[in-house]
Amino acid sequence: MSEIHGAVGSYVVNALDPDELEEFEAHLAVCPTCSREVVEFCETAAKLSLLASVPPPPTALRESVLAAISEIRPLPPEPPAEPALAESTAPGTVAVPAESGRPVDELALRRQRRRTRILSVLVAAVVAAAIALGGVVYTLVQTRQAQVAQQAAETELLTAPDVQTYSATMKDGGQISFVVSRSLNRALFIGKDLPAVGSDRTYQLWTLEGERPIPDNLVAGGGDRKQFFRETLSGVTSLAVSVEAAGGAPQPTPSTIQTVTQLSS
Amino acid sequence: MNVSSVPPDSEGQPSRSARHRNTSSGREAEAAHLVDLMTLCSRGHEDAFAELYDLTSQRIHGIILRVLRSPDHAAEVTQEVYVEVWRQAARYSPDKGSVIAWMTTMAHRRAVDRVRSVSSEMARDERYAFHGGDREIDQVWDGVEQRLDIERVRKGMASLTAIQREALTLAYFGGYTQSQVAQLLKLPLGTVKTRIRDGLIGLRDALGVEA
Repeated sequence: MSEIHGAVGSYVVNALDPDELEEFEAHLAVCPTCSREVVEFCETAAKLSLLASVPPPPTALRESVLAAISEIRPLPPEPPAEPALAESTAPGTVAVPAESGRPVDELALRRQRRRTRILSVLVAAVVAAAIALGGVVYTLVQTRQAQVAQQAAETELLTAPDVQTYSATMKDGGQISFVVSRSLNRALFIGKDLPAVGSDRTYQLWTLEGERPIPDNLVAGGGDRKQFFRETLSGVTSLAVSVEAAGGAPQPTPSTIQTVTQLSS
Repeated sequence: MNVSSVPPDSEGQPSRSARHRNTSSGREAEAAHLVDLMTLCSRGHEDAFAELYDLTSQRIHGIILRVLRSPDHAAEVTQEVYVEVWRQAARYSPDKGSVIAWMTTMAHRRAVDRVRSVSSEMARDERYAFHGGDREIDQVWDGVEQRLDIERVRKGMASLTAIQREALTLAYFGGYTQSQVAQLLKLPLGTVKTRIRDGLIGLRDALGVEA
């Protein structure tokens, strides 16, 4: 057995270093023996994964996944490279992928995946989750460039077991939502197509402890915006938005308060 | 084509599984059911997808969480995987192996890709503390067959040599590359490569090849 065959185990557990991966994939495309071993080892590895079973994932994740796929069209089948298979092969049997030397399809998938950036999927997923959880339509496609860390924080919030969404219409007509998790102690402001407030003015977020407002982050007017609150939610009873002069204000200007949303405790 | 690699049974039914016929009938039915669900998914049936999710998410999320350790990353990657399963449903065919293996392979790859893309930037979230034991498992699995499966995998792993087991564990659950495993175990790369493959062969033979 040549050296390259020996890499099949590492290939299946995704332990090949990039250069060797290229080399092995090229080999795999023309080696039925390795193709067969890959299929078998994938079954074995799937069994091995049983040892990693933990309690079921959060139910919010299920909602989020189901909401995400409802917006995605399944790809059509690939053009048949070989005669119909679904009928002819018993489910679950290990079949040698013919002598054509056709690479197992994971390869094509993998190459395609390398080219595909995951961020857009993540944003779509987070937005879909927000829709599922809040029933408010957010199309925050503007924020594709958002950082991975931001994405992670949003996903964490949106999948928190106690996540709640409060939607409101601001005095100026802007549609907004607060996505709140007491357990994570965090709140996210989401503005859909916010009115422009002029270059010398800004939206400002506030947390209220009873009557006492605490200045929080600023949000530019115009367009779709997402902004986490800087403050945690300890003692916070309401969230509010006002319009202030650029740079923000230490106290909200009463006449420009756009919405005050009371949170459940 | 190396003729000796063709299974002795020309039907493609792995002969080893005959030993496990008692418990494998349920598994075969479940595997066939998953194939049916995949077919329905490829035609856009969301209810079939929901069932597929319910039947598999514990395992898929489990392996992703084990590799990533971070619940946040695990939730994201799990979602990515299921979105991909949905998109690619028509591209699955049983000659690629069982549905669960196809999905697990995808899940593991994506988890490992995520580990490698984030590990340079941030340390893994250690909130999910893994103590090496699997005590929780027994409480959450209610299926007897699944519990038997887990037992068989444990026994299979126990039948490997210590180095095979360790190399396979570091690579599969740890998400390390073989050269990182070699460094961790202070062994030559070639040895690690062989041990990982031998470990999979040993485990495969211990479990039978039934899908």
